[in-house]
Amino acid sequence: MSQKYHYLARRLHSFTGIFPVGIFLCVHLCINSFIFKGPEAYDWAIGLLERSPLTPYIEVGLIGIPILYHALYGVWVTYISKTNIFQYKYFRNWMFYLQRFTAIVTFLFVFWHIYVLRIARIFTGTEMDFATIAAWLSDPTIYIIYIIGYLAAVFHFCNGIWSFLISWGITIGSEAQNFVMCVCTLIFIALGVVGIAGLTLLSKAVVLIR
Amino acid sequence: MSDVILKIKRQDGPNSRPYWEEFKVPVAPKANVISLLLEIQRNPVNLQGKPTTPVIWDCNCLEEVCGACSMVINGVARQACAALVDTLSKPIVLQPLSKFPLVRDLMVDRQKMFENLKKIKAWVPIDGTYYMGPGPKVAPSVQDERYLISCCMTCGCCMEACPYVNPKSNYMGPTCMAQVKLFNAHPTGAMYKDERLDAIAGDGGIADCGNAQNCERVCPKEIPLVSIIAELNRETAFRGFNRWLKGKPKGPGLAAPG
Amino acid sequence: MKFIVVGGGLAGLMATIKIAEKGENVDLISFVHVKRSHSVCAQGGINGAVNTKGEGDSPWNHFDDTLLGGDYLANQPPVLGMCEAAPGIIYLMDRMGVPFTRTPEGNLDFRRFGGTLVHRTAFSGSTTGQQLLYALDEQVRYWETQGKVNKFEDWDYLSAVIDDNGVCRGCIAQDMKTMEIRSFQGDAVILCTGGLGAVYGKTTNSIINTGSPASSAYQQGVYYANPEMIQIHPTCIGGDDKLRLISEGVRGDGGRLWTYKDGKPWFFMEEWYPAYGNLVSRDVASRGIFKVCRELGLGLDGGDSVYLDVTHLEPDWIEKRQHGVLEIYRKFAGEEPTKVPMKVFPAMHYSMGGMWVDYNQMTNIPGLFAAGECEYQYHGANRLGANSLISCLYAGTVVGDKVMEYCKGLKKTSSDVSSKVFDAEMARQKAGMDKILKFNGPENPYVLKDEMNNYMSTYVGVVRTTKQLQDTDKKLLELMERYKKLGVYDTGGWSNRTAIFIRHLWNMFELARGIVGGSLLRKESRGAHYMPEYPNRDDENWLKTTKAKWTPSGPQFSLEDVDISLVKPRVRRYDVTKDQVIKEAAEKEAASSKEGAK
Repeated sequence: MSQKYHYLARRLHSFTGIFPVGIFLCVHLCINSFIFKGPEAYDWAIGLLERSPLTPYIEVGLIGIPILYHALYGVWVTYISKTNIFQYKYFRNWMFYLQRFTAIVTFLFVFWHIYVLRIARIFTGTEMDFATIAAWLSDPTIYIIYIIGYLAAVFHFCNGIWSFLISWGITIGSEAQNFVMCVCTLIFIALGVVGIAGLTLLSKAVVLIR
Repeated sequence: MSDVILKIKRQDGPNSRPYWEEFKVPVAPKANVISLLLEIQRNPVNLQGKPTTPVIWDCNCLEEVCGACSMVINGVARQACAALVDTLSKPIVLQPLSKFPLVRDLMVDRQKMFENLKKIKAWVPIDGTYYMGPGPKVAPSVQDERYLISCCMTCGCCMEACPYVNPKSNYMGPTCMAQVKLFNAHPTGAMYKDERLDAIAGDGGIADCGNAQNCERVCPKEIPLVSIIAELNRETAFRGFNRWLKGKPKGPGLAAPG
Repeated sequence: MKFIVVGGGLAGLMATIKIAEKGENVDLISFVHVKRSHSVCAQGGINGAVNTKGEGDSPWNHFDDTLLGGDYLANQPPVLGMCEAAPGIIYLMDRMGVPFTRTPEGNLDFRRFGGTLVHRTAFSGSTTGQQLLYALDEQVRYWETQGKVNKFEDWDYLSAVIDDNGVCRGCIAQDMKTMEIRSFQGDAVILCTGGLGAVYGKTTNSIINTGSPASSAYQQGVYYANPEMIQIHPTCIGGDDKLRLISEGVRGDGGRLWTYKDGKPWFFMEEWYPAYGNLVSRDVASRGIFKVCRELGLGLDGGDSVYLDVTHLEPDWIEKRQHGVLEIYRKFAGEEPTKVPMKVFPAMHYSMGGMWVDYNQMTNIPGLFAAGECEYQYHGANRLGANSLISCLYAGTVVGDKVMEYCKGLKKTSSDVSSKVFDAEMARQKAGMDKILKFNGPENPYVLKDEMNNYMSTYVGVVRTTKQLQDTDKKLLELMERYKKLGVYDTGGWSNRTAIFIRHLWNMFELARGIVGGSLLRKESRGAHYMPEYPNRDDENWLKTTKAKWTPSGPQFSLEDVDISLVKPRVRRYDVTKDQVIKEAAEKEAASSKEGAK
C-alpha cells in the first residue's frame, strides 16, 4: 500500500501546498489588505466570509483538511531529511534547509493563529473584528510573533512555488528555474513589505483610536 | 618536498568505534590524496610516531573514471584521485562516505546503488547476442544527451550530498533517476519506458527528491541531474494521469525482460 | 554444468553473458565491483572494419594491419577470426545501448587510429571502454535478476583447483571483506583477469592490475607466452601516484607530435613517417619519442616529454570528441589543452604477452580458460590501438561458446570430483595466508614493490640491453629474498588489504622474472621488444612464441612456431603505404626470379 501510494502522497503534499493552501493564503491576505482602507472596510471584508452559508464547509473541506495534510505530512518529510548545510554550503541547499525550517515555524504559528483567532472564539463567543485584532496585536510579543510567523509562511509559500514547479516538471532547465526564482523573490519581498505594513498598522491602531 | 598533516577518521570494522588518527606525510609535486595514502602504506606511522596499520580505502583507476575512490575530503564528497593536494586546505581531513555501510577506515559498501539499478531495470533489453545487424539509428543530439548520463560511474557522491539519502528514507538517489532517463532515451530502451517510470514512482522513487540540488553540484562527471530529475517529474506525472485516465490496457501485459 | 568467470572487465562480462544466455549458471568472481574494472579506462575506441567511409576497408585489411602492427608474432587464424567478427560485435554493443558517437544521419562514426590508414575505430567520445563496460555490466545485471549469474565482488582469486588427472575443477577465492577463503566448484574456470601494470608501478594501468591470477595460474603450470612483449604507450602524462593516458584517438582526430629543433617546431613523426605520420603503431611512436628525447636530446626542457598539440583544431569540435581525455589533462596537468599543447611522454600501458591458450581459449590445463589481456593470443609483439577492446570482447564471445563445447565432452563433471581435491587446495591457500599474517620482519611490502617498479620501468621498457636486463633479474632475486623478511603491519582478520597485497607482491615478482627472462631470451628486435644489440627482426630464428614454464628456480623457456598460414610476413614500414611495400616486394621478387631464370 505504502509503496503504491507513496508517489501520490508526496505529490498531493506538493499540490496542497499551492492549491488550496497557497491560494487561501492569498485570499486571506487580500481580505486583510482592507486594513489599508480603514477599520470599517476591514470589518466588512472579514465579515464577507462569515456571512456566506458555505463558509463552514469551505473552512473544513477546502482549508482545514488540506492544511492539516500538508502540515502533518510535511513534518514527516522534514523529519526524514538529513540536512548538511555546513558541509555543502550551496545556495540551493540553504534554501532547501530554510524551506523546512520555515515549515516548522509556519506550522507552529498557523496552528496557534487558527486556535486563538478561529477555534477559541467558538467557545468564548468573541466577535472577530478590527477592534479585537488591533487590541490583540498591540501586545509587542504577539506583534513580534506575528511578524516572524508571517514572514516564515510567506517565504515557505514563495520558495514552495519554485519547488512546486520543479516537482511537477514544469520548469526543467536551469534558466527557467532561475527565472522563477527571481519572480518568487519579488513576490516574497512584495508580500513581506505589505504584510509587515498591515501588521504594524493594526498593532498601532489601538493607540491611534485612543 | 613539504609535509602535510592528514587527519583521517578510522574504524576497524562496521561494529568498532570510530577514531581519528593523524599523519604527517611528505608531499611530492602533483600529489593527490591517493598519493598521500600510498605514502602511509609505505610508512605506517602516525603523527605521534607510533606504528599503526595502513589506512584502508578503495581505489582503482586513479583517473576519475572508475568511481571507486569516493570519500569525504574536507567535508565534501569527491574522488580522492582528482583531489590534488595543492588545491586543498590544510590539514586535510578524510572521512568515509556516511550514507553507506562502513567496511573499514575509508572503505564503504556501495552495493545498494547496484541493487537500485536492478529495481529500475537499468538495461537495454536485447533479444540475444547473436548477429542481428546494426542497432537503431540515434540522433546525434540524443546520443550527446545519453553520453553525458552514461558517464555516471556510480561513485556515490550525489548520494552522499543528498539530504534525502539517509537511513530514515528509502530514496534511491539522483544517480538512479538519471539512469532511467539514460535507458528511456534509447530507441530500444524506450519500448519499456513506462515500466521504468512506474519503478521510480514507487517507494524510494523520484517523489522523495526535495530539490536541494546538491547532487549536481558534487557530481564529478557534471551530469545535469537537476534538469533530468525535473524532466522525469514531468514524465512520471503524465504517466500517472494517463494510467488513471485511460485505464489499464487490455490483453496480456508486455513486460520488459526481467 | 557450472561455470566460473574470474574478472569482470570486458572479456569476463562478455563470457558471462554468453554462458548465461545459454541457460547455464555462472559464478562471477571479481577483485572489484565489475563496474570499476580496468576496461573502464580505455579511451579511444574499438576497431571493426565496417567501412562506412568509402575507403574500401575490410576485415581482411584490418587483419593485415593487425598482423603488421604486431610484427607477425601473433598466430594468424584467431586474429582473422577476431577481425571478421569485429563489425558484428560493434553492432551488438550498439544494440545494447552504448552511446557511440554518431554521424549526422545517426549512424556510427569512425575515427582513425594508429597503424592504419582508414577510419576503422568506433568510439564513444573518449571514454569508449567505460561505455562498453557499462553496457555489458547492465546486461549481466539483467542476468543476475534472472538468477543465472551470481556475483562475488571484492573477492580475490587465489588458485585453480586441479584434480589428480590435471583437470581444472574449480577455484579458490577469498572474500576481501570477511577474509573467508572458500572453494568454488566449476566445470570450467575462465580467467579474464587483465594486465599486470603494477609490475611496472607508475603506468596507465589501474592500481588493481597486479596480474596476480595469471601469475598464480603460471605457477600452477600454465605456460606464460611472450612475456617480454610489453607495450609502452607514446602519449601519457605524469602524476605522483600513477601516469595517465592521453588517447591515441587525439592523434586520430588530428593531434600532432612535435618538439623544438633550432628554435622551431619540428613535427618529427610526420617527417620520419610521411605515410602514417603521427599514427604509426605504438612501439614505433614510443621509440620515435625516445629517439628525440634520449638520442637527440630534444625533449622539452631536456626531459622525456614532447608536445601533443590540438591547439590548431576547432576547440568545440575536439572538445566534443575528446572531452574525457581533455578533462583528465586539465585536472591532472592543470593546463588548458585547447590553448597550450599537451606535454606527453611514453609509459607502460599493456601486456601483449599472457597466458598461453589454444584457439579455443583454453590453457594447457584442461578446464582452465583465459580471455582478454591476461592471455597472449591476438596482438603478437605489439598491439594496435583500439584492438584491445575488440580482442577482449571477441575472446569473451569465443570462450563463452567454447567452454560449453568443452563441458559437453566431459566424462566426469566437477560435482563428481572428490571434495578432498578442493579441501587440499583450500588448505594450501589458507596456509599461505596464515604465513603472511605471521610476517613480522623489517621490510615493507610497498617499498619492495617500488624498487621492483623502478627497475622494470627503467630497464625493461622501450630500449633494452642484456646488461640491464641481467641487473634487473638480479634485483628481482634480491627482492624475492627480502620478501622473506617482510612485515605485515596489519594482522587483522577483517578487510586486511595489506595481507592481500603481500600475496599479490610475490605473484608480481614471478611475472617480472618471466618478463625479464623472455626479454633476455629473444635475441632480435620485434614490435615492443627492442634491443640495440640485435636491431633487426629475425624471422628465421625468432618468428616464435616464447613460452615460459614456471619452476621454483625461475622461468624455463621453450619456443613455439607462429602460425603464419594466411599472410606471409612482410617488412614493417610506416614511412610508405602498405600497397607500396607490397609493390616493391613484388618487383624485387620479379627481378630476382628473372635473375634466377637467367
